[in-house]
Amino acid sequence: MKQLTFVFALVLTIVFGAVANKPGKDKEVKIKTSAVCDMCKERIEKNLTLSKGISEAVLNLEDKVVTVKYNPKKTDEAQIRKVITETGYDADNLVCSQTAHDKLPECCQKTSEAHSH
Amino acid sequence: MKTKIFILFILIIHYSLFNPTNAQRVTGTVFERSEASKKSPLVGVNIFWAETSLGTITDSLGKFDIARSAKSNRLVLRYIGFKTDTIKVTSENNFEIVMKPEGQLGEVVIRGTSSQIDRLNPIQTEIITTKALAKAACCNLSESFETNASVSVSYSDAVTGAKQIQFLGLGGQYVQTNVENVPTIRGLASTFGMSYIPGTWIQSIDVAKGAGSVVNGYESMTGAINVELVKPDAREKLYFNTYVNHLGRGEVNLNLNRKLSDKWATGFLTHASTLQNRVDNNGDGFLDLPLYTQFNGINRWQYKSDKMMAQFGVKALYEDRLGGQTGFRPDEHRGTAQFYGFGNKTNRIELFSKTAKLYQDKPYKGLGLVLNASLHNTDSYFGFVNYDGRQRTLYGNLIYQSIINNTNHQFKTGINYLLDDYRETYKDSLMTRTESVPGAFFEYTYNHLDKFTLVAGLRADYHNMFGAFATPRLHLRWQPWENTTLRLSGGRGQRTPNAFAEYYGYLVSGRTVRFWGQTIQPEVTWNYGLSLTQTFHWFDKHWDLVLDYYRTDFQNQLIVDTDHATPLASHLYFYNLKGKSFSNSFQIELNTLLSKRTEVKLAYRLFDVWQTMGQPFGNSVLQQRMMVPRDRVLFNIGYNLPYDKWKLDLTVQWNGQARITDPMQSLQATIDRKPMPILYSQSFMNINAQASRAFKKFEVYLGGENLANFKQPNPIIHAEDPFNKYFDAGQTWGPVVGRMIYAGIRVKIKD
Repeated sequence: MKQLTFVFALVLTIVFGAVANKPGKDKEVKIKTSAVCDMCKERIEKNLTLSKGISEAVLNLEDKVVTVKYNPKKTDEAQIRKVITETGYDADNLVCSQTAHDKLPECCQKTSEAHSH
Repeated sequence: MKTKIFILFILIIHYSLFNPTNAQRVTGTVFERSEASKKSPLVGVNIFWAETSLGTITDSLGKFDIARSAKSNRLVLRYIGFKTDTIKVTSENNFEIVMKPEGQLGEVVIRGTSSQIDRLNPIQTEIITTKALAKAACCNLSESFETNASVSVSYSDAVTGAKQIQFLGLGGQYVQTNVENVPTIRGLASTFGMSYIPGTWIQSIDVAKGAGSVVNGYESMTGAINVELVKPDAREKLYFNTYVNHLGRGEVNLNLNRKLSDKWATGFLTHASTLQNRVDNNGDGFLDLPLYTQFNGINRWQYKSDKMMAQFGVKALYEDRLGGQTGFRPDEHRGTAQFYGFGNKTNRIELFSKTAKLYQDKPYKGLGLVLNASLHNTDSYFGFVNYDGRQRTLYGNLIYQSIINNTNHQFKTGINYLLDDYRETYKDSLMTRTESVPGAFFEYTYNHLDKFTLVAGLRADYHNMFGAFATPRLHLRWQPWENTTLRLSGGRGQRTPNAFAEYYGYLVSGRTVRFWGQTIQPEVTWNYGLSLTQTFHWFDKHWDLVLDYYRTDFQNQLIVDTDHATPLASHLYFYNLKGKSFSNSFQIELNTLLSKRTEVKLAYRLFDVWQTMGQPFGNSVLQQRMMVPRDRVLFNIGYNLPYDKWKLDLTVQWNGQARITDPMQSLQATIDRKPMPILYSQSFMNINAQASRAFKKFEVYLGGENLANFKQPNPIIHAEDPFNKYFDAGQTWGPVVGRMIYAGIRVKIKD
């Protein structure tokens, strides 16, 4: 019985935790990037999602716009753009960090855009 | 049984052949993804059936309409400046295809749920992905099945730390455990083999239930587990993992992968782990876990070109285990009656190669050669008793695959050879055995619009000791509706048992080992299975339901009898089966996504396993197989934020009672001239939980095992007097060590 109570408490904690984590007062921002392919998409989304205060980032490869949901108490739009430029991509009118960009695989660099249709 | 399956088989064939296909034409539209974020139709795209001249081009709206071909079900789309695309056409129609420009890498990361059921595979197969593997941070293959309902893993005894699988009610020796399709955990390696594959090396695990494919040999009886390792051309260039638990076990894993050129790549997978802290939480004077050190590594080279693929490499392993009474020091006490000690040293080296010839224009065609050589050396002692073993194995498999007329009729055929050379000494007796088995196989696959698949396989082998034998196997898969998949399987399996390696845990006892009757014959089984996979929507959620039933019938089996004890000795008898022996396994499993981020699994499994025993004592009784819990319930809930920023996981397992023995009670029954007592273990619950948090460059995790802190009371019989003939550490049915907390870090560097 003691075990069952324990399990029940753990399940509740997880379920409650899941609900509590739902973005309530999150703000949303759309930023145009210089992403090229699916690898870029993954890289940008991952680096954004794993940054402080950001709960979700979805990049649309068709218009290269990334939609970021964030907690305004923990981060701001400037910080978010900085994450993108430091990943090696342009963020709206901010130019990417050159060193980060040069480290990207060839297919993800901006020059490869010219080759694609 | 066999005739029933046959009739059903005929009916299904009949249905599928004479059920007219609904559409004789395939239509669709082809687009490109234009800069303006919209799709625009592509005009003049070449479309044709693979390997035929039957083709068409898209019109000014990007539309096409083409007659179905009897020769091919793969439609090829070709357009200058775009990547050539091939789609597999089944019954669906009205395709919308977006072609990708050339020069764009279409590499997509597949982020599925953690365990998946392969719908198209004719054999019921569960795929354990890296995502599921990350649910249990620790540590090797034996811990990878924690959230899998079909496979359960338990300690074989309370001293050695050896772990055994249970699958369809039978032990791990009846499952063919392959690493990249090469039979690996077999023979002498079956004792500790589960701990020889570190978790960080594993890319995915396929668990196939029922008789396996004939291509990889005749030894799969209840199923086949195939482990795919991380490949040298993987995107992760570096993967570093460390792990430590509160009992003092430490572990380091490092994977390095490097592309040397367009064609060559090399990879190193390495592992080192140790436990040097003496743990005796239950106070019985014995170490709850053996002290150990393991070093393990693989170096693999890979070559890939349009015409061929090759890889070769070497695996090496060293392991040293030490268990027994807490005061035991091998230098001082080995061979004395002061302390009881257990020791094992294992060395293993393996050379492997795989070569495949590819045919660019005929992707269905292939010729492959697998070669493998291994040397396994293991030296053990249990108190005064020594057991040493050596196994040399050579394995070769040449496989040719192609089609008959069109890709609806595929086949694989080939020849293989297996050489096993055993040399074992137990106490003063030497046992040697050389098995040389050449064989040939043919497997035919018929596919009808991906709705119905039939795999019929037959192999013929000639065993130098036990003669020629045939291994027929049949698999049927039928998808009558979109969300329903039915599977049927049946087949024969054969293997030569290794009494000491497979029942190693029983050797940690004062029992007298005897082989009774004629020499041990190969074990032969017939396995039949039936399964249903159903997907449905309920309460706005997507559910997966899997129901399956498998039966294994033994024609011969190595019976292990620990039921008897007399005033002279407590017995461990090995003998051939006379009479019935079978296992029934029934499982129901329900999976769902409660929300986008919460995944739940609930499963129940029933094992009903019986064997005829007692011949050495002049009786013949149908008894329940030892150490098999009849019932098991598994519950798993996982919560994941995108990109695993936070990951929480909880697993609860409930294990029912299993039949056990106690030499003291057996002795009492002998003295009282009563039949041997039938004893049962307790049921118990096991709870594991883990949380992990990912950062940009690394990931940390914290978790606990056996959180309810359940410990088997008195796991060792006569622990206070280990040199007694009724001493027994092999009656372990539950956790010996209590709650365990661990933490670790993972660093991955991708390009």
